[in-house]
Amino acid sequence: MPEAIEIQLKKGALELCVLALLSQHDSYAYEIASRLSDSIGMGEGTIYPLMRRLQTDRLVETYLVESSSGPSRKYYRLTEVGKASFTSQKSAWKSFSGAVQSILGGAK
Amino acid sequence: MTRQAFMARLREGLRGLPPSAQADIVADYETHFNEGESAGRSEADVAAALGDPGRLARELRAEAGLKRWEEERSPSAGASAIFAVLGLGALDILVLLPILMGVGGAIFGIGVAVIAVFFAGGVVFAAGPFTGMPGGPAAALLAGLGLMTGATSAGAVLAIVSIGLVNALVWYGRLHYRLLKPALESQNLGGV
Repeated sequence: MPEAIEIQLKKGALELCVLALLSQHDSYAYEIASRLSDSIGMGEGTIYPLMRRLQTDRLVETYLVESSSGPSRKYYRLTEVGKASFTSQKSAWKSFSGAVQSILGGAK
Repeated sequence: MTRQAFMARLREGLRGLPPSAQADIVADYETHFNEGESAGRSEADVAAALGDPGRLARELRAEAGLKRWEEERSPSAGASAIFAVLGLGALDILVLLPILMGVGGAIFGIGVAVIAVFFAGGVVFAAGPFTGMPGGPAAALLAGLGLMTGATSAGAVLAIVSIGLVNALVWYGRLHYRLLKPALESQNLGGV
């Protein structure tokens, strides 16, 4: 069932993608959600529970930014712990996906 | 679904969580609608992308219950974890219910027996030497001690077994998240 495989793959990659986006620049939940839902087809509602968990685990922290239109936005940025976690998850992902790729490349 | 209907169902589903947690969650999704609106999307479109609010609330509540169990191993946290998993309302969990009640009843029964044996040991230990039990006072003291220590270790084993069972249930419950962990299916889920 290819659908099930896809879900499992996205599950593992979601946190990594969020950390990657935040490592490029600070962002707010709606922006993260729309980036990820466009590119990896993730439900937008997922992002909030995930951000709350990352915050509990102290990988990200929040600050408010005044907005010219409407109420102020809650921005997320990586903490030092978050940066370290991103680096290690990224290298784990690279070595794993590289290994899978080399096996897939050998299969016909 | 309109924004109002979505938020109303979400609020209703979140009842029972601590008020501050409810307020945080509600604020998050209100903001989401605001942002969506200023990006020019319709309410229905944003609501559809978020998934079913009732389901979302159930999973958020379940996660809160399960997390509490992981933070404190107390009987009440265990009970809230069990209810959290049942609250997911998946069919196979409901099939599991009679088994769960059987196991729960057995654990409760053994627990009561263990406590009774402990107190019986206490009585034998305290009163035995004066009531002329066969074997004399020393035998009564030792028998009482033996009963009490036996009950204590049986209780400890029972506690370990219960914790293991709840852990297994928590793991099993998390398999049933559809929207939460990664709400990945919500794209083509459309309701439910």
